[in-house]
Amino acid sequence: MSEIARKVTRYFTSLVLIIIINFILPRLMPGDPVKNLIGEDAYVSEEVMEELRAELGLNLPFSEQFISYTSNLLHFDLGYSYHLHAPVAEILLNKMSWTLIFVGVSVVIGTLLGCFLGALAGWKPERKASHFTSFTFVVLSCIPPYFLALLTLYIFSFKLGLFPSKGFYDTPEIGSVLHHLFLPVCVMSVFSASRNFLVMRGSVIQEKEQLYALYARAKGLYNTDILFRHIIKNASLPIITLLALDFGFLFSGALFIEIIFSLNGMGVMIYNAIMGKDYPLLQGAFLVIAFTALLANMFADLLYILIDPRVRGGSMDESV
Amino acid sequence: MKQIKHLMGLELKARLKRTIILAILVLTFCLTIFSSGAAGQEDTENNQPVSDEGFFNRFITYVKNLFSGEEGKLHSSGEIPKTGAADIQQSAEPEQAVLKIATPDVIKSASLVGDTSLGIFAHLSNPPLMKMDAEGHIVGQLAENYSVSENNTRWTFYIRDDLYWSDGEKVTPEDVEFSIRYYGEKTPWASWINDTLENSTVSDADNSVTFKFNKPYTRVNMEFATYDILPAHVWKKIENPVEYTSNGPYVGCGPYYLKLIDLNAGKLIFEKNPYWKGKMPEFETVEIHFYSNVDVATLALKNGEADSYYKYAGSYPYSGIEQLEKTGNFDFLEKTNVGLVFLAPNLKKAPFSDPKFREALADSINYEELARLETLGYGEVPNSGFVPSAMENYKETEKLEYSPEKAREILKKAGYSDSNGNGILEGKDGKDIKLEILIRPDYARTGELLDEYFEQIGLSADLKTVDSDTWITLKDSYNYDLTVTRSTPWGMLMHSSWGSGYFDSRRTGQGVMHNLEDPAFLQLCDNILATTDSAELQKYAYELQDYYADNLPAIPLYWSKSVTPFNRHFEGWYADPLYGIYNLDTFTNVTKVEA
Repeated sequence: MSEIARKVTRYFTSLVLIIIINFILPRLMPGDPVKNLIGEDAYVSEEVMEELRAELGLNLPFSEQFISYTSNLLHFDLGYSYHLHAPVAEILLNKMSWTLIFVGVSVVIGTLLGCFLGALAGWKPERKASHFTSFTFVVLSCIPPYFLALLTLYIFSFKLGLFPSKGFYDTPEIGSVLHHLFLPVCVMSVFSASRNFLVMRGSVIQEKEQLYALYARAKGLYNTDILFRHIIKNASLPIITLLALDFGFLFSGALFIEIIFSLNGMGVMIYNAIMGKDYPLLQGAFLVIAFTALLANMFADLLYILIDPRVRGGSMDESV
Repeated sequence: MKQIKHLMGLELKARLKRTIILAILVLTFCLTIFSSGAAGQEDTENNQPVSDEGFFNRFITYVKNLFSGEEGKLHSSGEIPKTGAADIQQSAEPEQAVLKIATPDVIKSASLVGDTSLGIFAHLSNPPLMKMDAEGHIVGQLAENYSVSENNTRWTFYIRDDLYWSDGEKVTPEDVEFSIRYYGEKTPWASWINDTLENSTVSDADNSVTFKFNKPYTRVNMEFATYDILPAHVWKKIENPVEYTSNGPYVGCGPYYLKLIDLNAGKLIFEKNPYWKGKMPEFETVEIHFYSNVDVATLALKNGEADSYYKYAGSYPYSGIEQLEKTGNFDFLEKTNVGLVFLAPNLKKAPFSDPKFREALADSINYEELARLETLGYGEVPNSGFVPSAMENYKETEKLEYSPEKAREILKKAGYSDSNGNGILEGKDGKDIKLEILIRPDYARTGELLDEYFEQIGLSADLKTVDSDTWITLKDSYNYDLTVTRSTPWGMLMHSSWGSGYFDSRRTGQGVMHNLEDPAFLQLCDNILATTDSAELQKYAYELQDYYADNLPAIPLYWSKSVTPFNRHFEGWYADPLYGIYNLDTFTNVTKVEA
């Protein structure tokens, strides 16, 4: 079987497993979606509960529910949210667009910043600046996101009054959106950068000891050329893996940051869906997250092939 | 060698130079910060006491001025002290006349009928027919008054004549009839209307609407204090109101109408209803701001971004009160909460079905400590009659007392003894009593305290803290010994009121225990449900509270106060036991005053 066919089979199997788990997992949680819909203090007769259960299709046997779920999926229908009163696809598109702006930008900034500073720190780890950046990023990566977000909000929003404290915007204009998202994006970028920094620094320290780096120096290349043209290419392989893994995080949002900045994003939506046993919304959200993570991994595989000739040659095949 | 010495000398000089330059820079920076902070203080002396700000605050002030470009102005106008920030912000915007309320009750969907939290906020634009006054009496709101037939099946509500929708249409009895029927037909939680409403008629002569039920129903006036009245000419076109979402505007007949729901901005905007003929509110706009985090809501209040705080069936966090008090800008409205936290024994299981055992449990609890730790001084030791004093027809029953000796005595007399001397009492079956206490996530600390109290009387306990859904599943299958839970204001009023809806075994529901089958109790509930006579109601209410005190089907742990902070530049706040400050009286009475 060719390599491509093997990979396609692997990804297809993963997708099927994801769909099955996606259906089973929410239903394994304790709690009844119908009771959640009714609310804590309302009294509703058993007949009405049964009617509602039938309306939502929850009275059917599991197998029938699964068939209906997969059949809807094949028709690109993700269902209708019990609590948000809208088609799941519509809700996800709206939330994902906001989350992409907020988390996507953070991941990009965090990756670039972390890689750049990590490469510099790894290239000359004995410099004071390298010690300082390493110390800073280690500290930042250890601080709980919740705390850092609250601290940032306290200083920059409430003490300095420079940024608003909540929401994606005050009025739906680009200026307002940028103003509102500046702080959350900064906090998320710092976290993303700290992770990437540590990985990149370690990777560069390892790579610079390799013979090709010595050869490049012997050829008379400048330090910056050696680092940014040769070493960084090899050192970035673990970063690609990290980024691929981060794709799940990209769409699931950053729950704690969303809570602190009162952002109506994917993280809070998934949390509420879990609490409210909103099966269609949970299924839809998890499916999209899993699917994008799968795509990102496929993309990472391709990138590995492009970047690393050893993978192209098949010598590292098993470790990828 | 000379060269090396020369080089070292040069290097030392360069280092010294760098150190001196750095020291001068740091000194200059500190001086600038201190001088700017001091200037700010001098000019605010007349209005605010000089604060002894630390370096951090001075640094913050400095950076703030740098960014806002007001360094020059600082010396002339003075820095806005943090304690006065809210004052300045309010007084700088008198023309806007916006009243801002911070809330953690985040709405999830822009569905006026489908989203519970939005439904409560919409009371301002679409007020219910009835309301609860500060003393807990149900009185008319959109209805002037009401009458009920002798057999309690026919309810007539006389609608106020001066009500207009925000689109200029008059509010008619047809609107009220439509709304009630609409809820009954289209929403599962109001299906009781559909099941019991036989017919309804309207009379234009006396502007009334009459509902005829197929069986006596005495709590209709209270039920109708919760359903938002909708304009028939708008909503009759909407087939499925639960699934209908719109960001607004919504036509309303209150002093305000709901202009905008913006979930991404985290706010609701209400604007004055141009056709409102009642008492005119002072504020053009009321904004409800959602905060997912209570700490951030507190900071928003401190900073003047919100004027008050609202949480349905809850209080402003007691731990945050001191912070707001320190600013000197807030006053607090305190009301004894109608809801309470209680310990519910599994009445279907021995030894909890034994009233003596329950009495011993009640005596073993240190109520004062519980109230002090859980409410930080905003609570009190409850009475054995369960019902808090804020409820209508409250009866003064015996206060619960902490008496472990008495508890041990009762248990001994009832036959629970420690015959094997291991420190744990044995049940009537001879086995060690091991209590399983099911705890809802909010009451983990209460559970730990109870564990300690029970241990003192020789009862060992296993605490099981579970999420809400697991709690409901275990509670509904009676798979627990004791559980710590709470009642909401509406929960205390539902069914035959005075908390009976939590215990009546004939009922179901997410938050209710439905574990009391005692015919005497069920009869009392039925008696209450069969009368609208206030004297009779009072008699039954007293009997019910006596029943609670004598039988302890649940042990109240503490009564708490609902505390609402509000900026002292605003006065006229009014709280009712059902919806707290979120009522029309508040919004039509609150005015801005000079502090």
